[in-house]
Amino acid sequence: MGPVRKFYQWKQLISNCRKVCFMYILGIDVGGTNTDAALIKDGAVQAVAKVPTKHHHLIDSTLAALDSVLQEQDKDIPFQLHLSTTLSTNAIIEEQGDPVFVLGIPGPGMRIEELNLGFDVEVLTGSIDHRGREVARLNSREVRQKLAEGLVSKDVGLAVVGKFSHRNPSHELEVKKIAREMVNTETDGFRHISLGHRLSGLPNFPRRLATSFLNASVARRQAGFADMVEELFTKGRNVKRIYLLKADGGTMTLKDSRVRPVETILSGPAASIMGAGSLMTHKDVNTVIVDIGGTTTDIAVQVGGLPVFQRQGAEIGRHKTLVPALFARSIGLGGDSEVHVAHESKNHIGSNNSPKFVLGPRRVGVPVALGGEKITPTDAAVALGLAALGDQKRAQRAIAEFGHEIGLDAKTAAKSIIGAFVNQLKTAVCEVYQYLETRPVYTVTELLAPKDIRPRLIVGLGGPAEVFIPMLAKAMDISWEILPHYQEANAVGAAASRPTAAVTLHADTALGTVTVPEMDYAGEITDSRGFNIDQARLQATKWAAKRGKQFDITDLEDIAIIEEESFNMVRGFHRTGRIFMIRAQVRPGVRRVSASKGWADEHLQSKPTLRRGQSQDQKQEEFHG
Amino acid sequence: MGSTNRKKVGLVFFPAFDWAISSDHPEREERLLYTRDQIVEEGLLDVPGIEEFRPTVADENQIDRVHVCVPSTSEVVTKSHMIAAGGTITAADLVFTGQVDRAFAVLRPPGHHANRIVHGSRGFCTINTEAIMVEHIRHTYGPHLRIAIVDTDAHHGDGTQDIFYNDPGVLHISIHQDGRTLYPGSGFTNERGGPKAYGHTINVPLPPGTGDEGLLYVLNELVLPILADYQPDIVINAAGQDNHYSDPLTNMNVTAQGYAQLTELLAPDLVVLEGGYSIEGALPYVNAALLLALAGLDYSQAVEPDFPGDKIRQRPQVTETVKTVVGELQNMWVSRRDVDLGRIFGEGHIFERQRSIYYDTDGIVEEQKEQIRLCSVCSGWRFIQSGASRGFGRTTIAAAVLIPRHVCSECENQAQDLYEAALKKRGFHYVYLQDAGNDIFLKAQRKSGTK
Ligand SMILES: [Zn+2]
Ligand SMILES: [Zn+2]
Repeated sequence: MGPVRKFYQWKQLISNCRKVCFMYILGIDVGGTNTDAALIKDGAVQAVAKVPTKHHHLIDSTLAALDSVLQEQDKDIPFQLHLSTTLSTNAIIEEQGDPVFVLGIPGPGMRIEELNLGFDVEVLTGSIDHRGREVARLNSREVRQKLAEGLVSKDVGLAVVGKFSHRNPSHELEVKKIAREMVNTETDGFRHISLGHRLSGLPNFPRRLATSFLNASVARRQAGFADMVEELFTKGRNVKRIYLLKADGGTMTLKDSRVRPVETILSGPAASIMGAGSLMTHKDVNTVIVDIGGTTTDIAVQVGGLPVFQRQGAEIGRHKTLVPALFARSIGLGGDSEVHVAHESKNHIGSNNSPKFVLGPRRVGVPVALGGEKITPTDAAVALGLAALGDQKRAQRAIAEFGHEIGLDAKTAAKSIIGAFVNQLKTAVCEVYQYLETRPVYTVTELLAPKDIRPRLIVGLGGPAEVFIPMLAKAMDISWEILPHYQEANAVGAAASRPTAAVTLHADTALGTVTVPEMDYAGEITDSRGFNIDQARLQATKWAAKRGKQFDITDLEDIAIIEEESFNMVRGFHRTGRIFMIRAQVRPGVRRVSASKGWADEHLQSKPTLRRGQSQDQKQEEFHG
Repeated sequence: MGSTNRKKVGLVFFPAFDWAISSDHPEREERLLYTRDQIVEEGLLDVPGIEEFRPTVADENQIDRVHVCVPSTSEVVTKSHMIAAGGTITAADLVFTGQVDRAFAVLRPPGHHANRIVHGSRGFCTINTEAIMVEHIRHTYGPHLRIAIVDTDAHHGDGTQDIFYNDPGVLHISIHQDGRTLYPGSGFTNERGGPKAYGHTINVPLPPGTGDEGLLYVLNELVLPILADYQPDIVINAAGQDNHYSDPLTNMNVTAQGYAQLTELLAPDLVVLEGGYSIEGALPYVNAALLLALAGLDYSQAVEPDFPGDKIRQRPQVTETVKTVVGELQNMWVSRRDVDLGRIFGEGHIFERQRSIYYDTDGIVEEQKEQIRLCSVCSGWRFIQSGASRGFGRTTIAAAVLIPRHVCSECENQAQDLYEAALKKRGFHYVYLQDAGNDIFLKAQRKSGTK
């Protein structure tokens, strides 16, 4: 049976899988300050809730959020839980991870000491080249010796990473095998073993090292968390499935999070972006998502309805990783930013000498309107009546005082501050696009006919968004939309996210090799002459489906080739083979979610209105985002 | 190597993964694939101080400052060439605007065999990317900038030599495998430049089998002292990598370590990849080592996995020949001003030379007659008559008047007259005027009716 027929059978299989029973999905994002929850069903938000996060009690926070959102509903309804936590993120940022013994197999190249990784790497001999050929063998005696050194300290994790291990994982697997053998005979072994090639099929040895190190360092914590979650939710709650959110906006199973915990980093910001993507009305247009908070503003980008990713992977703390992550830029500008007056430079004498305001990057504290000391952009908005928040008179007095010192009346000062905010935001958004549009490309076609990624729509989140987003849209001359539930967009995003899984297939017909590192697969091509791009795609798609099954993904319909390269190999004026690199992925799309019926018409391009009649505390929360 | 040597490096990398000269040609899509793989896998783009940039696309004006493309720039030059040229311009801009200390343009196709007059492609080159970069630099950042080009490709940089033949603002040093043993068969020590730039062209032909030792000897004993004398504002390395021991087209024995040491010593501001067709055995390692060396990082472990050790050690008679060549060139440099130019270029008002140029890639034969006015004030106009034929096809005849930078008024007037006269003269299909100082390029095509 040829591969084409096999593919057909598999297609059948996945259409059977489509028959998933629709159920409630509960999204929970445990953030640093608040835990947000959103319940969705049939593509509509049923309820949202926000509770304070109890530090170091993630389970309690999760439960509290869950209870508050399920309050009015039947407690027995079956639901699927999507959970985003800061567990791994915080462990890494606070450098609270467990000790990890890292074995690197760098071969020739940059000295490992120059990499400045922030953790120690023990070097093994052995090397693999760019086509996955073994250049120098491992020395098994040396491997044993090093492993024994690692096992001296108890309760340590192990990370094994080779250069070009994504092209040939044999060295990493060999080290693991030896480590396992030693467990039987010598010690009780390493607490957790991370192999570089299993965590990413992409190139970049230093990033693979960091990814594997971090994975091993948070594995115990994540496993403990998974235990607790399983225990709590299988008792008394009608939870059908539990998923964790990843940095790429997709989800993974609780089970898989024990193996690849590093993928749960930065899931909070990803949840917000996915939430915005799922709540916005015009889902297929190019969009810039602007989440304005008190201290910072996050800018994310969607092109044709799909989020833009980091070029190589997430960056966290001092570490650059290969963890797939959504692209986002954070700038030091928010509702509570410090307001400075820029001193006119001497060569501007004679020009318009009205003072220029510069906002941020520091946060000064709460706005004057809410009892703060120093004026903020929020106060300017409150003073002008653009936002109903706290004590307007107080804000107006403070702005008037501030303006007086620099020779401006209160209204002009407030307007100038708002103008400065919009200007700085616009500059930041333009810089993001400038960066994305000048990212390197490697083909003539891409260079000459770049994809149009320019935004047609701004989607605003966060408290200050209602004031500033319409102005930003006007300055950029595009449409805008403020999302409902923006306070819980992260929870909605968590609920709306779908499982993702990607594989990288590398085939070399001259060597007759095929590798899919994420699946530990290194096989041979039987018919090198007949192996073409279609077969490479087909195989990659099949491996992605297999990967999806491992990940408990039931909805396998949407497998896409996301990257593809193919090269003729020419040696001495003759073609000797072809090289293919195919990345196939189960799409990280979001479920489409609406806030409620009829909401869309009302909110798109509508004048910003502030919800009134709430207690002052709540309003403050709302405006700060 | 201390951190004090750290430099900010801009990498302009464009492998043109969808372009080849032809399907089985060595200048192919795959050429920089393994280099890309190596650079990314090494994590070099994450190293603080190394940043990657996208090339711009050069425009016709930028090309016309250097070349006279026959019949026209748009008919000879493809988009891929314009990107390769644009990449060198990007590299230059990065350095001159202070965004980086040094820039490395890893682009294809190469350019150093492209002459001023271009009828097609020779030695895999159509337009001279370095020369386009040089003219962009002088046009944008100052016409008086002194520029040194050190071409370390295994082949003679004959195109670059031709373009700057009579340009006293450019010092061109080409270090290559002896022309008697390799394409293009030129680049001997007696090729020393035109009447107003005599001594500014320096050719260092090296015997087959020259390795790191010989290359570094040339650098230390000849190139660095000459550069110290010449005091260039900017140093460019045309970094062909076909002098590598594994290159299939040449017979040199340079290694990645040797190239990195050369880079560290030469400390170029701009590096442009030229040839190099050992795309698996050499380019990934040489480019990685070169990038490390440019950034001032430790490159001592950037070695080829199949490093043959003693097998490529330079033989004693090769060393002797290298020393002899270097000795001869040292003397030539020291005594360059004592040369009686009249004996070489004649005592008349005009120096004339005739050449036949073969375009191996496109199978074109060009016959060229060039006249240079021997002016006591400026470097004089050049008048080039060029006929090119492909196989048994029609011969295309072109005439070009070149007006140098800092031209004297007498030469300028004469050049204008020459152009007018050429326009009237029968026999030229195309007539061009390239005025470097005024940044003017004129092109005229003879109407078929007036023949
Ligand atoms: Zn060459
Ligand atoms: Zn003159």
